[in-house]
Amino acid sequence: MTPLPAALLERIASAAVQEGLADAVFTRLATPIGRLLVVQGPAGVCRVGFEEEPEDRLLAEAAARLGPRVVASDRELAGTRDALSAYLEGDEERLEVPFDLGLVAAPVRRAALEALQRDVGRGQTVTYGALAASIGRPRAARAVGSACARNPVPIVVPCHRVLPGSGGVGSYGGGPERKRALLALEGALLG
Amino acid sequence: MSVVLPPFWSLVEAHGEELLAHARRLAGPQQAEDVLQEALLRALRAYPRLRHAEHLRAWLYRVTTTTAIDGLRARRREVLTDAPPPQVVEPELYDGAFETLIADLPATTQFTLRLRFMDDLDYEAIAQRLGCSPAAARQRVSSALRSLRERIPAS
Repeated sequence: MTPLPAALLERIASAAVQEGLADAVFTRLATPIGRLLVVQGPAGVCRVGFEEEPEDRLLAEAAARLGPRVVASDRELAGTRDALSAYLEGDEERLEVPFDLGLVAAPVRRAALEALQRDVGRGQTVTYGALAASIGRPRAARAVGSACARNPVPIVVPCHRVLPGSGGVGSYGGGPERKRALLALEGALLG
Repeated sequence: MSVVLPPFWSLVEAHGEELLAHARRLAGPQQAEDVLQEALLRALRAYPRLRHAEHLRAWLYRVTTTTAIDGLRARRREVLTDAPPPQVVEPELYDGAFETLIADLPATTQFTLRLRFMDDLDYEAIAQRLGCSPAAARQRVSSALRSLRERIPAS
């Protein structure tokens, strides 16, 4: 059987988006840290998945929150793709794409991720404890740790910049190797 | 919401190829992509209203079949209403695809399908031609459509 032409799929997805039929749009993007799956809803990027994560699960999560009409389009997400590529290839200092933390239910975790994205820039790092203190919850380092571990939008919300107070890079949803790679890309000094 | 529907594009990626082949058989190679596009958009419009998540592949086949047949009717209608004489419009482009599709069906089934989709008659008119009640005509059309769908293999 002839495979579906990519141009046809793009045409269908674009028509769906234009008609307001898409609850969410996703794209697969090759980057220096492996293939990413990026899902975007009306309010922005709501999920970034690393290549080890099963796509079915990532898309089902997005569908459960935004609706089942999930379509794929590189073209409709061209802006987000370009921003991520430019950042991960080191050409662009800042990564600014709209994002949506709707998949984060707990207010503390959401506040931690928002503060992290707002306050901790490229090349900087912060400890779990310090991030907890910055949102007025100095004893919530563990909740902050879980917010980072379950961050639905890694890279966009830079949980790789959050390190344990005891040294080392600590854990990362995408694996410690990837965390090191991202910190190296950003020129953050490693202990 | 009690129904958990899979992300729509998972269905497209799983069944898109066979649906395109299906559209090609129904509408011919030149129209197949347009038919599939329209069918998937129709499916998307209806998707959130589905009341269960079973037989989604069969449902997509059904939507594609209906879309292809509507396309044949629309092209037929264009031909009937356009000013130039019918010969100019290369009737084999639509008639051929439709006739090929129904060629192996029993004659009465073929006849019913032509009345409905090629001649675009309503059930009243079909009933007159078939010598039955409009309700029976509706039933015959629907059973003819069922045979048509069954004749089109999934792969």
